[in-house]
Amino acid sequence: MNASVRTIGLNGRELLLLAACALAIVVFSIAAPAFGTPANAATILRNSVELLLIGLGMTFILAMGGIDVSIGIVMGLAAIAVGKLLEGGAPVPIAALAGPLAGMALGLITAAVVVLGRIPAIVGTLGLLGVYRTAIFVALGGQWLSGLPTGLTELLYARPLGIPVSAWIIAIAYLAAWLALRRTPYGPHLLAIGNAEEKARLSGIAVTRVRFATFVASGFLAGVAATFYVATYRNVEMSIGSTLALDAIAAVVLGGTSILGGRCSLIGTVLGVLLLRILQNGLLLIGVPSLWQTVVTGALLIGVLGMEAAAGRLKFSSIGQAAR
Amino acid sequence: MNKVLRLDSRSVSLLILVCLWVLVIAGLAILKPAALGGAMLTSVLQFSTILALVALGQSLVILAGGAGIDLSVGGAVSLSAIVAMLLLKAGMPSVLLPFACMGAGLLLGLFNGYLVTRLRILPLIATLGTFFVFSGLALALTGGAAQSGVPQWMLSWGRGVWFSIPVPFLTATIPVFVLAAVVLGYTAWGRWIYAMGHNETSARLVGIPVDRTRMILYALSGLLAGVAGLVSLAWLGSGRPNIGQNLELESLTAAMLGGIGIFGGRGGVGGVFAAVVLLITLKTGLLQLNVNTVWQVGIVGALLIVVLLADRFYQNRR
Repeated sequence: MNASVRTIGLNGRELLLLAACALAIVVFSIAAPAFGTPANAATILRNSVELLLIGLGMTFILAMGGIDVSIGIVMGLAAIAVGKLLEGGAPVPIAALAGPLAGMALGLITAAVVVLGRIPAIVGTLGLLGVYRTAIFVALGGQWLSGLPTGLTELLYARPLGIPVSAWIIAIAYLAAWLALRRTPYGPHLLAIGNAEEKARLSGIAVTRVRFATFVASGFLAGVAATFYVATYRNVEMSIGSTLALDAIAAVVLGGTSILGGRCSLIGTVLGVLLLRILQNGLLLIGVPSLWQTVVTGALLIGVLGMEAAAGRLKFSSIGQAAR
Repeated sequence: MNKVLRLDSRSVSLLILVCLWVLVIAGLAILKPAALGGAMLTSVLQFSTILALVALGQSLVILAGGAGIDLSVGGAVSLSAIVAMLLLKAGMPSVLLPFACMGAGLLLGLFNGYLVTRLRILPLIATLGTFFVFSGLALALTGGAAQSGVPQWMLSWGRGVWFSIPVPFLTATIPVFVLAAVVLGYTAWGRWIYAMGHNETSARLVGIPVDRTRMILYALSGLLAGVAGLVSLAWLGSGRPNIGQNLELESLTAAMLGGIGIFGGRGGVGGVFAAVVLLITLKTGLLQLNVNTVWQVGIVGALLIVVLLADRFYQNRR
């Protein structure tokens, strides 16, 4: 029952992550000269934007004892919506808004299946993953969207108050998530559901509404990430988002959010995302083929949970009940 | 309590598939009557062999409850086939190929079992992690290239056909399913699995070694994935690093369609077997009708959701 509400300061786990990031930076800087350059740091940060947004949503979903393995493909579908609109010559603001809207619509579908249909989240989102994969193939017609108009991309170069747009969006998303979690009833309700859904229901928490809203919000964030993706890369490839869900789950678990629900850390998620992207970038630069990336991410996920278990920090009782 | 062939309360889900199946067969009969026949039977059973083995492992793991699920099955099929072929390349005598493949699968399954029963990691997260590790390793170790060089004697097993029925289906799938049905229905150990899935706390209280049984089931799921990998080697003649793609989704769908309750303790392997054959017929039929293969994963995914929703609906009305 560790639904502690911390507001400021870092706990041990977060300090450990910070240290791991620092260590990784030092090691890779020595091993690969190309790593420690400002340009590479910018690359890492740019590659983290989508994962940060999706990671925030995944933090909420895992904290309430759920999971969503389809979220990467949700971003892919929303990116196709944005790309198709741009390609068709739609005004930039409309194309930019299409991402979050499409993400939210897909989040509604996920919520309808998992929450209203009362299907276990892992099975429901796995089924949706299959459906969405076909949808991506059909929507793209076997061809990449590439060389999209630059209108959306120019927005990325804007620097209100000297700070890049992407940093603003991340900051706003983080602040909104933090406020929802720590300053509204939603936060405690979410964690209570994660701890024990039945007890939360009996104590009068609107479990269905909270879970529904969380899946929709996560879809919305994936949609915002989609707009960023299209603005940054100006293309949509067939395999878009295929490993994002794993990356997000790994980053969130790394950050100290409990997969059994009831405990979450937003700052931990941010640090988890950074560590993951630093590792992936660094390994690539020291010459590890990119095919190894999913192996490393998967191993990291299992390794962290294994070490937690060894340290006896996981709740040992009733994994069956907690899971459902 | 549970019968081996428990189709009564779960007939709704099977009914959906039977209807679809009849539709596809009828569609084929009208649009492409030449496709129906011995060759189609062989092809369906050939594809069914691999999915049936994997779906059986998946079903056993889910049956035992405790939020049991094995998302790594597809990765385990690919990796065990690849490991066996790499060992062969490294100079292992070809006689040992089947043992290497099944042994690799068994080890991968044991690793899952260790994560779940010893380290108490939630099965869905543990096997999601191993899914990416296994399938990633199969790709990374080979660079994505198929590994050729399967010995001839294995090909004659894998490609053999006896009265339109593939030999691997007769010698691997049928015996394994009969064995599973007998063990589940008529032995104490089989009843333990249902008891665990039905109510884990009571199962522990009456002295059932829950953790050890669960460990064995995850190991079995890995072993069956290894056998499926072996069948793929003997049939295709090479080890393909992506052979297990989408098997986690398909095996889960087959288990659910076959009447295995997602919360454990409910269902039997007979239904799973029927669901596998129906599912593969559906896929093969669509292929014959020139429906693009990219639709398959979507249709299987939609079926999984529909069958679970139908199950919910049925239970609510009862």
